[in-house]
Amino acid sequence: MSSLIPLLQAQKLSRHFGGLIAVNEVDFEVQAGEIVGLIGPNGAGKTTLFNMLCGSMAPTHGKIIFNGADCTSLSAHDMAQRGMARTFQITSLFPHLSVFDNVLTGTYRRQHTGWWASIQRQARHKQEEAEMALQASKILDFVGLSDRQDDLAMTLPYGDQRKLEIAIALATDPQLLLLDEPAAGMNPDEGAKLVGMIKDIRQRGVTVILVEHHMKVVMGVCDRVIVIASGQKIAEGVPQHVANHPEVIRVYLGREKVHA
Amino acid sequence: MKPVPFFESAKAWWFGLLLALLAPFAAFNDYLLHMMVLWGIYSILALSLNIIVGFLGELTFGHAAFFGIGAYASALVVMGLGLPIWLGPLAAGLIAGAFGFAIGYVALRIVGPQFAILTLGFGAIIQTITNYWVDVTRGPMGISQIPPFKIEALGLDFSQASHMYFLVLACLTLAVYICRALQSSRTGRAYVAIRENPELAQSIGINTFKNKWLAFTVATTMAGVGGSLYGHYLRVITPDLMSLSYMSALIIMVIVGGKGTTLGPVIGAMVYIALLESLRAFGNLRLVIFAAMLILCVIFLPGGLISVWLRWQNRVREN
Repeated sequence: MSSLIPLLQAQKLSRHFGGLIAVNEVDFEVQAGEIVGLIGPNGAGKTTLFNMLCGSMAPTHGKIIFNGADCTSLSAHDMAQRGMARTFQITSLFPHLSVFDNVLTGTYRRQHTGWWASIQRQARHKQEEAEMALQASKILDFVGLSDRQDDLAMTLPYGDQRKLEIAIALATDPQLLLLDEPAAGMNPDEGAKLVGMIKDIRQRGVTVILVEHHMKVVMGVCDRVIVIASGQKIAEGVPQHVANHPEVIRVYLGREKVHA
Repeated sequence: MKPVPFFESAKAWWFGLLLALLAPFAAFNDYLLHMMVLWGIYSILALSLNIIVGFLGELTFGHAAFFGIGAYASALVVMGLGLPIWLGPLAAGLIAGAFGFAIGYVALRIVGPQFAILTLGFGAIIQTITNYWVDVTRGPMGISQIPPFKIEALGLDFSQASHMYFLVLACLTLAVYICRALQSSRTGRAYVAIRENPELAQSIGINTFKNKWLAFTVATTMAGVGGSLYGHYLRVITPDLMSLSYMSALIIMVIVGGKGTTLGPVIGAMVYIALLESLRAFGNLRLVIFAAMLILCVIFLPGGLISVWLRWQNRVREN
């Protein structure tokens, strides 16, 4: 949180689907090095907001500023090229590739030499390929999948598949990582490990935004939490503050906090 | 690093090339050599189709049309414009590639079965135009007496199978080299990523449309060069080259051989040619046999004949 210019700014971000306002004028900022949680009840507009940030859905109006540049309405691959990586709510891998090739494929944006350089057998291309293979191995080590690197991604158990998704995203060497419900379907033990991994990811210099339902994960890892309900931001702050916020309790429990 | 299967290794390819170079001396017989020339040309076409079907994972029914465009373009620039014959393949590649570039720009915006149907439509349009634009293409009669490649100083006449075989083998080697270079680059990985999971591919920074467009253009250029080789060798071309029967033959080669690999289409072309000739006694029943083979392959060997080797290798490693 050293720099003053936020890494990501959302300004009055809105998305309408016909008459439905899924996200309504949401403003927030994320500083470099932060871990920010995005929570809210089902249907609150979290995923829509998430999709707008990473370019897979254009906002109806509002602005997204990433790294000081206006990135509103850029496509998903452009956002990735600018250093924003994401994972998906439903497990999303390259199923018929080996675990290693999944991660190696993720290094795409870091490489500068392609087919033509490969045809010419450029020394730079060989060097880069070797470098990327090394990076992929390191990332597999980091997420703890080294011993499964030759297995097909589709044969991994669920928990490992979620790790592999994070590994693919990390292979792009992102500045900002958006995690869409990474703990979905995990048991408490796996959830605890995930908390550790997200903290380690921050140690690598990656800023993290996560959408999550598991409160334990959110409370355990986030510096700051943004609460969305019915498309609007209703609260923002450190986890303890947000957990006691009357409006948050109302939308989650459907009533005011009861004082005994 | 994961072990590379033997047939993907450079060593295996050098060995294969050596075999292919020696083969004509072992069985010197014009008929067999003619089959081997056809095998080489079909291999180039199957390799080019494989870039779209195997790597990108999009089915196209328009590929034979680009093969035909190449054959016609080459014959017409040499015979009509009087350009030197060696510019034929170059013109064929450029013109087929330009068509691929334009059609790809439109067609690649849609995916899956709709894309396949659209390419079928483009293929049909190109074939129909070739059939009816009699002033230029001579219509259904086709173009005959196309001049063969020649190097008179060396006494080489490439209308003879024994000479043409080595020219085709050189072109096939180049095509294999290009495909292998693709596989060991980020471009190749991007194609496979688009096949496996386009949404995830975008999220790691791959511009899916641009990558598909490049793949389609290169593949159609290669098909055009293959068409040129074919035309100057057989010296007769008709609009039939663009028909669905050629298209299905190419699809059978890629699927039966093993899509998404470089050796697969080359093996597939060999199997196709071998069966086509050895089953000649069955007449048109051959097509039924090929169809059955395709169906069996899709059900029992989705990875093609190549995957038999892989399975065997895995079993050996486990024991």
